[in-house]
Amino acid sequence: MRSGAGLAVTGLGVVCALGESVEPFAAGLLAGSSAITELPADSGGPRYGAPLAGFSLADAVAARTGLPDGIRRTATRVASRSPRPVQVALAAALEAWESACLHENRIPAHRIALVVAGHNLTSRHSHELAARFHASPAYVPPRFALQMLDTDHVGTLSHVLGVTGEGFTVGGASASGNVAIIAGSRLVESGAADACLVVGALAELSPVGLRALGNLGAMAWDVASVPFDESHAGFVAGEGAACLVLESAASARHRAVAVHALLTGYAQRLDANSLANPAEEGEVTVMVNALQRAGRKPREVGYVNAHGTGSPLGDRTEIRALRRVFGGQGQGPWVNSTKALVGHCLSAAGVVEAVATVVQLRDGFLHPNTGLRRPPSPGCRFVGQHAEQVRAGLALSNGFGFGGFNTCVALAAPGA
Amino acid sequence: MAHSKLADDAILAAFRRSVVAVVPEIAAAKVTLDRTLAELGCNSIDRADIVTMTMAELGIIVPVPEFGRDRTMGSLVALLRKYA
Repeated sequence: MRSGAGLAVTGLGVVCALGESVEPFAAGLLAGSSAITELPADSGGPRYGAPLAGFSLADAVAARTGLPDGIRRTATRVASRSPRPVQVALAAALEAWESACLHENRIPAHRIALVVAGHNLTSRHSHELAARFHASPAYVPPRFALQMLDTDHVGTLSHVLGVTGEGFTVGGASASGNVAIIAGSRLVESGAADACLVVGALAELSPVGLRALGNLGAMAWDVASVPFDESHAGFVAGEGAACLVLESAASARHRAVAVHALLTGYAQRLDANSLANPAEEGEVTVMVNALQRAGRKPREVGYVNAHGTGSPLGDRTEIRALRRVFGGQGQGPWVNSTKALVGHCLSAAGVVEAVATVVQLRDGFLHPNTGLRRPPSPGCRFVGQHAEQVRAGLALSNGFGFGGFNTCVALAAPGA
Repeated sequence: MAHSKLADDAILAAFRRSVVAVVPEIAAAKVTLDRTLAELGCNSIDRADIVTMTMAELGIIVPVPEFGRDRTMGSLVALLRKYA
């Protein structure tokens, strides 16, 4: 992939607070609608979030009218008792499967791989079952033996879609989504698969986990913190899942399917740091290396989908890294943070943001940094309160995580 | 014990509720004493969940090794009655 040719992105799916499929999500991005809302006072968690309220597997399956009845029946049969994160991931995967025409213009099942991003995905479900365990261990649902495993996502999605190629979960804290995109890319580049579904899974945190993030100061507890704004005070959690279908160029040509974008480069680096703090050097390195892998120069980048969580230290560090790679304010690419609209989708964030990036490249706009009233100075070329009508051509999407994870993926509009 | 006089039809009714909750495609009327859960279309995980839910509803605990394989509904009802 050093030639910069890239893998084809042939399928997209998303389920998050801004929209339960790609087109409403795209409309929400263009409008700059924020899905961040005040949560019920008795929730025991932070005051603000972007919850996926009212999701129903039955409705999500019914919405996939282009899919054969057999897949839809199997989805309901296999996943109706699954924990919500598995159901949401399945809904995103079904949309991507339909969007990539994998139900009509098929790839042999053993040539399709499945990589699920994330870890500790059903910790809220586990937490809720603890009460039943304490009341009577004999009545713990046996199904939980499967559901406690993050790989239940892999089993369930592969069962519904009939995928028999390689499959696994990968984790990289909040960078999990990009880590999975990189792992999926390698499966296709190596020839192990013709296509790979990369699924960013919804991480449903337990009340204990939420409180720990609040106590650490990583999560904003009482305010609707805005990424990159001088008032930022931590991240606001969002709920969502997303799916990309990455496919070899040859397979996409052979199937004559639409190519939404090209994945042209990627990079991952560790900081050798077990803590939560980011490192400018690692962030610079992955942006530079992703571009090198794509065979492109920093000046060719029109847009960066920033990691931008709203963490004061994280935002400041990313701004410094962006300025080192692209130069000072006014000279570099446009920058926005999708987390301003959908919250921080944790394990899924990298894939949600890759879908957001592809949609913006495809439709020729860059979404607003909703709520960003007081950007830091020196800063970056932040999109303001209205969308910019820009055909960015080449974009980077950053993802960083606790434990020294740095990732970056490069996405390009076809022909850009 | 609280459930010592639990009637077979009450146990079967509880099983029917569990079957429909776990596999909604199965009509409750199909759950008859001569059928096995596997014959009704329940996979191994469904069967384990159905038995556990039914025990929980009735407040009965049957040691897991007692269940064995391929018991008819009639045999399952008798087993739960034994531990009621």
